[in-house]
Amino acid sequence: MKLRGAGLLLAAAFAALPLFTIRSDLLNLGVQIFLAVVLAQSWNLLGGYAGQINLGHAAFFGLGALVTRTLWVGGTPLIFAILPGALVAMLFGLTIGVPAFRLRGAYFAIGTLGLAEILRITIGNLLPQISTIPAAELTSYNILPRYYLTLTLAMVSVGVVAWLIPSRLGLGIRAVREDEAAAEATGVSALRHKLLALALSTAMAGLAGGAFAYYHVSYYPQHTFSPAWTFDAVLMSYIGGVGTVHGPVLGALFYVILKEILAVQWVEFHLIVFGVLFILVVLFFPGGLIEAWQRASRVFVRHRRM
Amino acid sequence: MLEITNLQVAYGPLLALHGVDLIIRPGEMVALVGPNGAGKSTLLKTISGLLAPRAGAIRWQDEKISAASPQRIVEHGIALVPEGRRLFAAMTVRENLELGAFTERAHREKHAQMERVFTLFPRLFERQRQRAGLLSGGEQQMLALGRALMGLPRLLLLDEPSLGLAPKIVESIFAILAQLHRDGMSLLIVEQNVHAVLALVQRAYILEGGRIVGEGDGKILLADDHIRAAYLGPLARGAV
Amino acid sequence: MILAQQLILGVLVGGLYGLAAAGLSLTFGVLRVLNVAHGELLMLGGYGTFWLFTLWQIDPFVSLLAVAPAMFVLGMVLYWALFQFVVKAHEETRIKNSLLIGFGLTLVLHALAIRLWTADERAVTTAYAGAVLRLGGLAIPWLRLSCLVFAFAILTALHLFLAKARWGRAIRATAEDWEAAALMGIPVGKTYLLAFALGTALAGIAGGLVSISYSISPSIGMEWTLKALIVIVLAGLGSLFGSFAGGIILGLAEAMSVVFLGGPYREVVGLILFLIVLVVRPQGLFGARA
Repeated sequence: MKLRGAGLLLAAAFAALPLFTIRSDLLNLGVQIFLAVVLAQSWNLLGGYAGQINLGHAAFFGLGALVTRTLWVGGTPLIFAILPGALVAMLFGLTIGVPAFRLRGAYFAIGTLGLAEILRITIGNLLPQISTIPAAELTSYNILPRYYLTLTLAMVSVGVVAWLIPSRLGLGIRAVREDEAAAEATGVSALRHKLLALALSTAMAGLAGGAFAYYHVSYYPQHTFSPAWTFDAVLMSYIGGVGTVHGPVLGALFYVILKEILAVQWVEFHLIVFGVLFILVVLFFPGGLIEAWQRASRVFVRHRRM
Repeated sequence: MLEITNLQVAYGPLLALHGVDLIIRPGEMVALVGPNGAGKSTLLKTISGLLAPRAGAIRWQDEKISAASPQRIVEHGIALVPEGRRLFAAMTVRENLELGAFTERAHREKHAQMERVFTLFPRLFERQRQRAGLLSGGEQQMLALGRALMGLPRLLLLDEPSLGLAPKIVESIFAILAQLHRDGMSLLIVEQNVHAVLALVQRAYILEGGRIVGEGDGKILLADDHIRAAYLGPLARGAV
Repeated sequence: MILAQQLILGVLVGGLYGLAAAGLSLTFGVLRVLNVAHGELLMLGGYGTFWLFTLWQIDPFVSLLAVAPAMFVLGMVLYWALFQFVVKAHEETRIKNSLLIGFGLTLVLHALAIRLWTADERAVTTAYAGAVLRLGGLAIPWLRLSCLVFAFAILTALHLFLAKARWGRAIRATAEDWEAAALMGIPVGKTYLLAFALGTALAGIAGGLVSISYSISPSIGMEWTLKALIVIVLAGLGSLFGSFAGGIILGLAEAMSVVFLGGPYREVVGLILFLIVLVVRPQGLFGARA
């Protein structure tokens, strides 16, 4: 498949990048892109494939960051700090999943939004101070492990979705998105499949949060629960092509890079641009950039044949 | 007056009407009978503008109305009394009737027309401040009918007016329809209750599987063996 | 005494919550469209009042005479440009798409507001702003009281419009059964347009009142959208006065949380109440429909 080939090539290029440059701004951009991929892909799994619009996605990102940061600055080795972060996020997701999925469509969306806000405010009240990496770690701060960690997570997230979707479970998940009642009628347990998608989605979001906690030198804990993370995930997924494997990757690339370019103009400008693009995609171009790519390559193939 | 030629209506990829031809002349009372799923409701909905045909034409007084919006259809003088009444249950009888007179033409005659409807249906006058959802089945059908009349139609379409009603009520409803017909209204009635409707109408069409498979005088069709076998069943065998 | 004072303040702000929710309830109830940018529209109305006062010293209550029609027109534009495409789909897709569109609109309006007016907080401070009615040891700010009365008056006017006017009834009919309404000759598209524009105008008026009695900034958009959503869930759809009552209940709940839990958790109580009602009784405390 063309896209998979292109994707692998891109991953290889990113992996090789540090061999050719030590410019920290490029490497930092890379980290941001990879984080964005994981974030977008995690939302896409639940929102694009299972059709459940989760507007509280930031909560799981934040939980992953919180747990990871707490464990890691406390001295726990990274691997044992990040995995619990993902686990906590997933468990929280499953806990709220059962009551939350009793809500249809819009109510699920605003319910999860409300939930994330509760968490954000509570964390903001309980942990108002900025969280900074301790001095010892700070002096030995190296971007490379962060770079490769986030790159790996990005590839894993894409891989998980690519593996899951054609599988029997993936088919069930998509069936639930199309028509829940029909799916139930053919023996597909809607709740079970939604919960599965939710578990994976929240675990991935937790991993992204954990990676963020490992990467970012100092931040306010409340910030990782900010709805901006959810918005970013939604924007990237849709603009790239929601409900596809490579859409979120394309969306993340596009989003992070364009954001960097536009930030020179004025800081929030990228939101206007992406907001408008997003609306256009939802209304007129639901396939996003991926669809545009596929249409363009079909035209190209046609021309070549002539 | 109403002329339908080769009408094809589809729900997505499924064709529900396969080229229907039908005519209603001024002042006629015509029935449309057929089994469940034949497409009778589809036909009425298409005439009223809720559905758009894929092919074919609907002409009203020689004007093509196939793609007109429901609003325009009402302005032209065609009103549908939908299946299941579709009353505004939360609103009163009076409010339902007033809403029936939304178009400009009907709005001007609103008060006069409401008088006429109340004369036709005294029960509605008694219950005018009651919420429509609280009326009995028969009263609801009367209200649905009255509401359609408020739009000052020249052609009245009825989708299963006897549905869910006791035989006595059905009788009175049909008596009113006959009355309206005598006063000059044209009617197209879709009915499962073949017995009640065929005795009343001048002409009837039979719709089966999205196609017109028969047409004729109401009473003649009623006596036809095929019809009796198909729609009246063993109960009607004895009665003539 | 502290409790009573807080409760009064809670009622006063609750009226505005109710007004904000009423606009959203109208558009959601009629079009089945959940415009989550409602709070941003409220914010715009607030800025309208603020700038009319700051630049041309127009009394804020008077400026509403200009803000409301302007917001009405904005609502028409938004419907025409965006939401008319959303209403073409079936209900579930409709709600989902409107959620997304509203979300995109939120981002754009929020970012525009920050760009145009900076993130600073603004407030309209008239000469009579500080006046207070003293009633048995309680201090009731006249301004907020007037806003409450004004909000109630607006809702009453809207209620009368929906109950008696030809187009008001058309809106109610369309909300209940749009196909049946269409069969009456009611132009559904125009009805949707009207309902959406009215909802937007209500948001604008609410925003104006907020700028008068409290303060505004670009970030109040999301805040007020959430308030409106909470009230809609609490009160259910279908009744303007139900929304008003729901708003007051939210205001009271927040007031009590301030007294018993302290300021920082004010929002949380409302949100928790919201979640509980959402899961336990989705049709709301007063609602009839699920």
